[in-house]
Amino acid sequence: MKVNTTRFGELQVNTEDVITMTEGILGFENLKKFFVVDPGDSTLILWLQSIEDEKIAFPVIEPKIFKPDYIAKLLPSDMNSVSLESLDQAKIYTILTIPSDITQMSANLKAPVVINNKKQIARQIVLQDSKLSVKFEMYKELKRYIVSFSSDDSKRTNVQEPKNEASVNNAAPDAARKQERNQEL
Amino acid sequence: MLVLTRKLGESIAIDDNIKIVVVQIKGKQVRLGIKAPKETKIHREEVYQAIHDQNTEAANSAPTDLDALNAELNKK
Repeated sequence: MKVNTTRFGELQVNTEDVITMTEGILGFENLKKFFVVDPGDSTLILWLQSIEDEKIAFPVIEPKIFKPDYIAKLLPSDMNSVSLESLDQAKIYTILTIPSDITQMSANLKAPVVINNKKQIARQIVLQDSKLSVKFEMYKELKRYIVSFSSDDSKRTNVQEPKNEASVNNAAPDAARKQERNQEL
Repeated sequence: MLVLTRKLGESIAIDDNIKIVVVQIKGKQVRLGIKAPKETKIHREEVYQAIHDQNTEAANSAPTDLDALNAELNKK
């Protein structure tokens, strides 16, 4: 199907890539259908784009990139809420807030979005850990990661994606990203 | 909303497995004890409000110029 988006123009989205957020995102409960857009740049930021509202897209990122020791402790009820049997089937993203001064960008560690990869259902899960911040500043860490990664050209040869061409995040580029990260580590 | 009056030490039961006890009353503050199964999520309302506000900010402030964002993050 074709989906209009403010940031990425018209995108072709496969039905199997549509993610259902049964309870929506807190504050956006009316929006249930999303998909992940990989803009194909080197920011490592992905976008959780609403299908129902072209203007709404949440910048998201894997928290391990800027906080390697981050652990989302999910309760059995959390796992059930997205029909997860094991974390291997899950993707965990934190929502980013990127103000006009992007050095002030922050990630919501307290309430990550957990996606069941197989069933394509997701939920924003509020973790019990009271030490986790909803506004964790991480610009420096992200930048350090990106710059140190891109300064070594040998590590990026096979993961280049065409610039300015937004693509729906599917298995292939994702696998490439994972690989490239492992090399970095 | 159901409104109940309780005295110090009294409690209310929700379903068969959740119990809320008034533990202490001090001026305008009430301390509540909550007994619930481990998987029950219990948060102060402010936590939800903070997440709600953060989500709204995330959606509203998200940049539309992704090239600029990319450039800034890659600047050495």
